Amino acid sequence: MIILEYLLIFLMLISAFLAVIFQEELISIICLSVFSVSLTALYLVYKAPDVALAEAVIGAGLNTALFMTAISQVRSGKKHYISEEDK
Amino acid sequence: MKGINTLINKKSLYNLLKKREFHVSFVLLLLSVFLFSNFYYVPEQEIFSNSTAEHIINSGVKETGSLNLVTAILYDYRAFDSLGESTVIFAAVSAIVLILSFKTLPVSSKGLSFIVKRTFGILTPFVFLYAVYVITHGHLSPGGGFQGGVVLGTISIIFSIVYGSAYDYENYSPKAKTILETGGALLFVFLGGLGFIIGGYFLSNFNPTRSGLGTLISAGSIPYINIGIGFKVGAGLAIIFYTMIQKTYVEE
Repeated sequence: MIILEYLLIFLMLISAFLAVIFQEELISIICLSVFSVSLTALYLVYKAPDVALAEAVIGAGLNTALFMTAISQVRSGKKHYISEEDK
Repeated sequence: MKGINTLINKKSLYNLLKKREFHVSFVLLLLSVFLFSNFYYVPEQEIFSNSTAEHIINSGVKETGSLNLVTAILYDYRAFDSLGESTVIFAAVSAIVLILSFKTLPVSSKGLSFIVKRTFGILTPFVFLYAVYVITHGHLSPGGGFQGGVVLGTISIIFSIVYGSAYDYENYSPKAKTILETGGALLFVFLGGLGFIIGGYFLSNFNPTRSGLGTLISAGSIPYINIGIGFKVGAGLAIIFYTMIQKTYVEE
């Protein structure tokens, strides 16, 4: 169990570091999702299923969808305004 | 002197200071030093003889009738804090709708392919069933109103992505979501007021139907508060997602 705990903490560290390093936003969001999934497993190891359920649903599910929509909105808006300036 | 000058080489040092990775690692290092210095002086776990935690663990089940002690704390002992949390969600939904809804053109995407549509047609009822299970069994098993409500909100997200947002708009209009959200919040406050009349203080657990421990209709007002919170959170998150996928620019 201790080995699993340290493995999950190591995975969380790596995914958080990758989320900061990448310039591409989509890869960063996926890395945050991986972070949330490993945090969920860590909560289960610590025997806190309530918090694990909340983390799995919000961190891995909802946050990813909301961030994706926000980024697609920003990108399409940017593209639109650039094409308007060219005219 | 010349050797030292070439060793330091001001230009390369300046380039290093300008790099993004250097900034990020510097901030992270500073943060970790401060966190370590804070948490190093936290005393070891002290066990008081008359602590709140011990009281809740020893007599929480007897006092509230809820087998899940986390739910007992969230919706009985500290129910007023949960009311504050749902107010925060309400404020967030209001602010997002206020900022983003200056153009109300729904994105009319056609959704994903036929296979994905059929698969989610089979899967989505089970997602709904799971959400209802997590909400109604919040006082018996892990979960509760908040977690189940987020799963309910995910169904709206599945509809918008897989079937296109026009389908979501036709079946679950924003007006219905608003009614559900306000209804959930009002149910919470109404139960609090009812507890004030029956139990003597706001949000007291008034036990309208006292049945055996571990049954579905036990634990007094906790399941009803769970249902209210679940509808409130789910509808609120669905409103946030629906507002965010609207077009904020005019297409030619």
